[in-house]
Amino acid sequence: METLMAILTIFTQPQLLLLVGIGTFAGIYIGAIPGLSVTMAVSILISFTFSWDVLPAISLMVGIYMGGVYGGSRTAILLNIPGAPSAIATAMDGYPMAKKGEAGQAIGVTTVMSFFGGLIGILVLALAAPFVSEFALTFQPRDYMLLAVLGILLVGSLSSGSLVKGIFAGAFGIAIGAVGRDPLTFAERFTFDLRLMEGGISFIAVMIGMFGVSEALQQLQNVNMKAVRQKIDKIVPSFGTIKKFLPLSLQTSSIGVIIGALPGTGGDIAALMAYDHAKRVTKNPEVPFGEGAMEGLVAPETANNAAVGGAFIPMMTLGIPGDAVTAIMIGALFIHGLNPGPMLMIDQPDMFWFIVGALMTANVFMLIFGLTGIKIFTKIVEMPRSIIIPLILLLSIVGAYAVNNSITDVYWMLGFGVFGYFMRHYGYPLGPVILGVILSRLLDDNWRRAIISEREDLGRFFEGIFTSPLSLVLFISVILIFVSQTPLWTSMKKRLFRKATS
Amino acid sequence: MDPDFRGDSDHHDGTSDATPGGYPKQRRPGELGFAIFLTVASLYLLYDAYGISGFTALSGAGSIPMATTFVMAVTALIVGLRTARLNKVAGETIANDILPVMVILFIGFLIVFGLLLKPLGFVLTAALFLTVSIKVLAHKGWGYTLAVSLGSLVVIWIIFRVVFTVLLPAGILPEAEFIQFFRNLFSGGAS
Repeated sequence: METLMAILTIFTQPQLLLLVGIGTFAGIYIGAIPGLSVTMAVSILISFTFSWDVLPAISLMVGIYMGGVYGGSRTAILLNIPGAPSAIATAMDGYPMAKKGEAGQAIGVTTVMSFFGGLIGILVLALAAPFVSEFALTFQPRDYMLLAVLGILLVGSLSSGSLVKGIFAGAFGIAIGAVGRDPLTFAERFTFDLRLMEGGISFIAVMIGMFGVSEALQQLQNVNMKAVRQKIDKIVPSFGTIKKFLPLSLQTSSIGVIIGALPGTGGDIAALMAYDHAKRVTKNPEVPFGEGAMEGLVAPETANNAAVGGAFIPMMTLGIPGDAVTAIMIGALFIHGLNPGPMLMIDQPDMFWFIVGALMTANVFMLIFGLTGIKIFTKIVEMPRSIIIPLILLLSIVGAYAVNNSITDVYWMLGFGVFGYFMRHYGYPLGPVILGVILSRLLDDNWRRAIISEREDLGRFFEGIFTSPLSLVLFISVILIFVSQTPLWTSMKKRLFRKATS
Repeated sequence: MDPDFRGDSDHHDGTSDATPGGYPKQRRPGELGFAIFLTVASLYLLYDAYGISGFTALSGAGSIPMATTFVMAVTALIVGLRTARLNKVAGETIANDILPVMVILFIGFLIVFGLLLKPLGFVLTAALFLTVSIKVLAHKGWGYTLAVSLGSLVVIWIIFRVVFTVLLPAGILPEAEFIQFFRNLFSGGAS
C-alpha cells in the first residue's frame, strides 16, 4: 500500500505532474531536433535544477529522457535523420515508408509501440529492481570494482568504433574523476600544484563540454542544411495493426530491457539488436526490410523505449549507470545528497517508487503528445541551425557557470568541449568518458577497500575473486571483452567460421 | 542507413549523437598527430601519477591514477600505431573538414564570452554573443538578427533568472533593481 502511495506521489502534487508533462513534451522535441540530444539536455538541466528539490528535478529529467528516446524516431522517419542515436535503426524502414507517403502511419505505429516498449521496461524495472538490490547487498567491494570496469568496457566495445579507443576514453574519464585532493589521504592528484585544481574538475563542466559544446561546434559544419517538408495525414493506427505486431514487440521489448539493464549499454544498441532480431524472425514480411517494413519500425522502437526502464535497474540498485543519460542522473542524485545503490532502495524505497511512477506518467504523456500536435511539430523541427547552435552554446555556458558560480568551470567546459570535438572527429566515443568520470570514485574506493581487506595481498585478492561465483563471472566477462579484441581471437573466429561453412 | 556504418555520419547527413565519426579503414587529417599527442600526454600523466604515492602501497592514493594513466598510455600507443598504418582519406584537409575557420571563430567567441561575463554581466554579454553569432551564421539582415537574438535572450533570461532562479553575473546592468521593480509592480497590483 505504501508502495502504491509512493508511485502515486506524482498525482498528489500537480506541480510534479506538470513537470513530467513539460519534460516529456520538451524531450520529444529535443530528441527530434538534430543537433540537440537528450544527453546534452539532461546534463545542462542538472545545473539549472540543482537548487530545486529533488522530486521536481527528477520529474523533469525523467520526462525528457522518456520523450527524447521516442522523439528521435520522428525525424528518422520524416527526414532520414535520426534525431537521437537510439533512432538510427528506425530510419532504415521509417524513411522508406515516408517516401511512399505513409509517414503518418509510420509515426502512429512508432508511437504506440514506443509506449508499449516503455511500459514493459518500467514493469520489469518495478518487479526486478527490489530483487536485484537485495542481491546487491551481498556484493563485495571487489564486485563493485569489477562491475564499474565492466560497465566502462561495455560502452566502449558495444557502442561503436574501436574498443581500444573506447578503453582510452574510459580510462581518461577515470583519471578526470581522480583530479583533486584524494578524499582518504588528502594527497594531491593531478593538480600540478595549482590551487584551482585541488577541488577537482566539476563533472558537470566535463559533461556539458563533451555533449553540448563539442556537439554544437560539430554542427557548425552543417549550418546550411535544409530540412525537407513532409505531408502527414492520419496517424492513429488501427487496433488490428497493433495486434498483429504484439508477439514481435514482446520479444523486442525483452531485448530492450536486457540490453538497457547491462551497465553501460543503452537504447541505441538495444534498437540495433532488436532490428537485427526482427529481421531474423520475420520470415515473410509484407514489404522487404529496408523498403518500409513495419516490423523494422516496431522492433527498434519497442526496444529503445524498453531500454529506458532497463537502464534504471543498475542505476537504482547498484549505483552503476545503464547508459550515458542515467550516468548523468546519478550525478543529479549525488548533487541532491542521495547516493544511488542498494542502500537507497532500503533507506528510501519511496524515491525508487516515485521514479517508477514518474516514468509511467512520462510514458503516458509520450503517447498523448505523440499522437497529437504533429502540425506544430514539423514547424519546430525546421528551426534553422544558425539559431539553434548559438542557443546551445549560450545554454552550455549558463549551465556550466550556474553550478558553482565560477568562470573556471566555463573554461573547463570549453576545454573539454574542444577536446571532445577532436575526439568525435577521430572516432573516440564520448560515452565512456562520462561513465569513467561518474564511476571514478566508486572504482577507487572499492578497489582500496577490497585490497585493504585482503591486507594488501594481490594473491589473496585474486583468490577471493576465484572463490566467489559472482566475482568470477564478472572477472571472466571483463577478460572476455579484452580477448575479443586481440588478433588471436579474430584469427580463431575466422578459423571457426571457415569450418562451419565448409 | 547502414547499421554498421560508423563513418563520418555527422558530417554529411547531420545526424546528431555521441556516435563518433572517423573512418575505420582510413586516417583523417590530423588523426595521427592527435594519437601521438594523446600518447605523450598520457605518459606525462603516468609520470605525474607515479609521483602521488609511488609503489608504496596497493591501496595508496596513486594506485588507480597510475593504473588508469598506464591504460591510457598503452591504448593511445596502440591507436597511434594502428592509425599510422592506415592510408590518408583522399580529399579531406584540416582546414576544410577538421578545424574550419568557423569552428575556430566560435571557440574564440566562447573565450571572449568567458572574459566578458564578469565585467559586463550576463545580459549584455549574451546579447552580444547571440547577435554576432547569428549574424555570422545566418547571413541575414540586421533586423532579423537583432529580433531573433534579443527575442530569444528575453525568453532565456526569463526562464533561467526567474523560473530556475539561476544566479548570473549582473555586471553593469541594474538587474536586481529591475526584477525588484517588477516584483513591486505585481505585489502592488495584488494588494
